[in-house]
Amino acid sequence: MGIAEAASSEIIHYAPTQIIPGVVINMQTVYMSWLTMAIVAAIVFAATRNVQKIPSGIQNILEMFIEWLNGLMESNLGVEGRRVVAPFVITLFLYIFIGNELGLLPQVGMHFSSPTNDINVAFGLSIMVSVAVYIIGVLQQGPKYFRHLISPFTAMLPLNIIEELSKPLTMALRLFGNILAGEILLGVLNELVPYLLPNLWIGFSLIVGFLQAFIFTMLTVIALAPVFKVKH
Amino acid sequence: MADNTVIIVASVLGAAIIGACASLAASKGDSVVASKALECMARQPEQAGNFQVNMLIGIGMVESIPIIASVIAIVLVFANPFVK
Repeated sequence: MGIAEAASSEIIHYAPTQIIPGVVINMQTVYMSWLTMAIVAAIVFAATRNVQKIPSGIQNILEMFIEWLNGLMESNLGVEGRRVVAPFVITLFLYIFIGNELGLLPQVGMHFSSPTNDINVAFGLSIMVSVAVYIIGVLQQGPKYFRHLISPFTAMLPLNIIEELSKPLTMALRLFGNILAGEILLGVLNELVPYLLPNLWIGFSLIVGFLQAFIFTMLTVIALAPVFKVKH
Repeated sequence: MADNTVIIVASVLGAAIIGACASLAASKGDSVVASKALECMARQPEQAGNFQVNMLIGIGMVESIPIIASVIAIVLVFANPFVK
């Protein structure tokens, strides 16, 4: 292992372990992903105890996010579309948002890192979204959903295929690049000026985490838009 | 001189060039989007919220390519595939 590899493994740990011969899993990513899932479940669980007509506290915060996401979905997908995909989109947004912010916590006992700083998580999410768009399209419109590949005329087929392949690629790389670069810079700033300089970067990273979650969700909603607009 | 010197020197130089070009590109691209958005917000102040949301979406899209380039630079410096 060279000097650079040793230095990088001090900043970003993936903890790859081999669970059965031939299968290597990044355990740090898995543990952080479980932690994100637990936090999202805890937030939503806490917000839905004693549901009040006039919300306050955590129910208020969650309702703010849900209303805002519902507004986005309704303006792009219509009311019917929102009813179909709202749980999927809200869960996706909450997972990515909490996952992005998790890597900014200080190290107390264990080392916190974002699950989205792993390229596998980013590609997993974007491939899941691409396949889900197809599944929802077939469920909504039947097999003639695939005709969107040859519309408006058949010669557009290669371009449409390239677009279908490049959308998950850019979505994943955008999310992964933002979060990984942020974490590496945080580690490097910590080496330079330990307790003062990282705070400024953490402030900026909070915004970047929210923005990247919002952009991922927005691209998902826009990718779902052609599925729901065939009602003339 | 170790076995890998030329590769390491070339990788570091390449990463530096990528860093310079990526930061130039990101600044130029973001400034075009943001200045147009500010102009439109000044023309129609009541729609400022709408413009701000779309400006953030635009900035996110524009910044994705420089960030991918920065990830390539990071890979060249930290996880170079040519260096054993």
